[in-house]
Amino acid sequence: MSLFASVGRGTIQRAEYIGGLTIQFYRGVAAAWRANPLTGSRLRWASTIQNMAVVGVNALPVVCLIAACTGLIMALQGGAELRQLGAVQLVINLVAVSMTRELGPLITAIVVVGRSGSAFSAEIGTMVVTEEVDALRSMALDPIEFLLVPKYIAMLLMLPCLTIAANTAGILAGGIYIYFTLDMGFALYIRAMLEALLLRDIVSGLIKSIAFGTIIVHVGCYEGFHVTGGPVGVGRSTTAAVVKSIFLIILADLLFTAFFYFFWQ
Amino acid sequence: MSEPKLPSSRAHWASDAPIISVRDLVVRYGAKTVLDGVNLDIFSGETMVIMGGSGSGKSTLLRRIMGIDRPTSGHVFIKNVDITCATEEEVNDIRRIMGISFQSAALFNSMTLADNVALPLREHTNLAESTIRLMTRMKLSQVGLGDAENLYPAQLSGGMRKRASVARAIAMDPEILLFDEPSAGLDPIIAAEIDSLILKLKSAFKMTIVVVTHELASAFLIADRMCMLRHGKILAVGTTEEIRQSTHPRIRQFLDRVPDQAAGGQDDYLQTLIKIQDSS
Repeated sequence: MSLFASVGRGTIQRAEYIGGLTIQFYRGVAAAWRANPLTGSRLRWASTIQNMAVVGVNALPVVCLIAACTGLIMALQGGAELRQLGAVQLVINLVAVSMTRELGPLITAIVVVGRSGSAFSAEIGTMVVTEEVDALRSMALDPIEFLLVPKYIAMLLMLPCLTIAANTAGILAGGIYIYFTLDMGFALYIRAMLEALLLRDIVSGLIKSIAFGTIIVHVGCYEGFHVTGGPVGVGRSTTAAVVKSIFLIILADLLFTAFFYFFWQ
Repeated sequence: MSEPKLPSSRAHWASDAPIISVRDLVVRYGAKTVLDGVNLDIFSGETMVIMGGSGSGKSTLLRRIMGIDRPTSGHVFIKNVDITCATEEEVNDIRRIMGISFQSAALFNSMTLADNVALPLREHTNLAESTIRLMTRMKLSQVGLGDAENLYPAQLSGGMRKRASVARAIAMDPEILLFDEPSAGLDPIIAAEIDSLILKLKSAFKMTIVVVTHELASAFLIADRMCMLRHGKILAVGTTEEIRQSTHPRIRQFLDRVPDQAAGGQDDYLQTLIKIQDSS
C-alpha cells in the first residue's frame, strides 16, 4: 500500500512539476513576444544587456577552456584507436563532427547551468524569501515579464554564440594533436576540417543550444519562484535547478539527436 | 461564526460605501484553516487596524486584500471589483490605486532607494525622467529620507528601510495604503516615528489605511476603527473606544496582556517535568 502511495505521490509531483514548467514556459514566451522591440518595445534593455554580459561574455573564457580540453581529449582518445587502423587523419572528422553536433552545445550548456542556472534560481529564490517578488506583484508588475524575460532573451542570444566559440576552441585544440602526430600544417588542418563538416552539423548543434538555453532559464527561474522555507530553501532550490536542468538537457539532447538521426540525414 | 457588528460610529469623513469589503473569506493550507469566514468592511478615508496574535491570520488577510494570493473561497471587493475572481489584468488595475509596505520592507536589493521608489512610476506612467526624479525625491523626503536616495537597501537600518518601503508604497499616490506589521522588530523610538508617519499620511492625503499589527500602543494611536482577529475569525469590529471598553474575554486578555495559562509556581513546574519524564 505504501509502495502504491509513494509511486502515486511521485507521479503526481512529477506531473505537477512538468505542468507548472509548461505554464511558465507559455507565459514566458508570451511575455517575451509582448516585449519584443519590433511591436511592444517593453523589453528591459538594461537588464537584458546586463544579463547578456553575465551569461555570455563572462562565461566565454571558461567555456572556451573546457571546450579546448574536450577537443584535445577527443583527439587523443580517437587517435589512440584510429592509429591502429592507420587512419589518424579521421581524427579531424571525429573532432569536427562530434564537437559541432554534440559536445560543443552540451558542454556549453552544462557550464552555463553551473554558472547561470544556479544563479537565476538563487537570485529569484532570495527575492521570493524577502517578499520582493510579492512587492513586484503588488506594484502590478508581472514577475515573469520583469525577471524571467530579460534572462530568457539574453540566454537565447548568448548560448548559441557561446556554443560557436566552444566549437571553435574544441576544433582548434584538436588541431594541436594533428599538428604533432601527422605533422600537418594548420592551414591544411582547417581545410580538411571544413571538408569534413556540413552546415547541417553546425545548425543542428545551434538548434540544440537554443533548446538547452530554454531549459536552463525556465528550470532555474521555476525553482526560484517556488522556493519555500527561507534561506535553506534557496540552497535546496539552487541544487535542484542544476540537477534538474542537467537531466533535462541530456534528455532533450537525446531526443534532438534521435530526431536528426532519423529525419535530417 | 462571528458576525461583525456594523460600526455604530465612524470617522466623520468616511463615505458610505465601503472601499474594501471582505465577504466570507476562507483560506486553507492543506488541513489548516488560516482564515475562517472573515467579513470586514473598510470605508474610504478611515484607518482600520487589524489586530491579533501571531498566527491569527492577519497577514494572510492583508495578502488577500492585496490580491497577492487567492483565497480558498469567499470574496474581496475593492471599489466594487471582486479581485478574487478577476483576471490578472483587472487585479493589476486595482493594484495601481493600492500601495503596500511589507513586513520585511521588501525593497529591491539590487536598486538604489531612488530607483526603488521610481520603479512603479517608470513602469506605469509616461512621465519624463526629470519629473520622475523630482517626484522620487519628494516621496523620499516625505518619509525623511531625502538625503539617502543613492544608498542601497543593504546600507540602511531597519527603520530607514521600513520608511523607504512606505515611500515606494505612496509613489503612485494610492487611495489605499496597506501596512504589514509597520513597527515589528523596531525600537520604540523608530516605531513611534513610523506611527507619526502613518498619521501624517492620513491627515495629509485622506488615504484609506489598513494596518496589521499586534502593537497595542501604536494600534490605539493610529486607528479610527479596529478589528480583532483570532484563529482566523473576527472577534469584534468597532471604534477604538468600543474595543477598549469591550468585555469579550479574549479581547480583554489581548488588551490586558494576560498569558494563555496563568504562570504556575514551582509545583506546576515540577509537575510538568514529571509528566515529561513519564512520557519519555
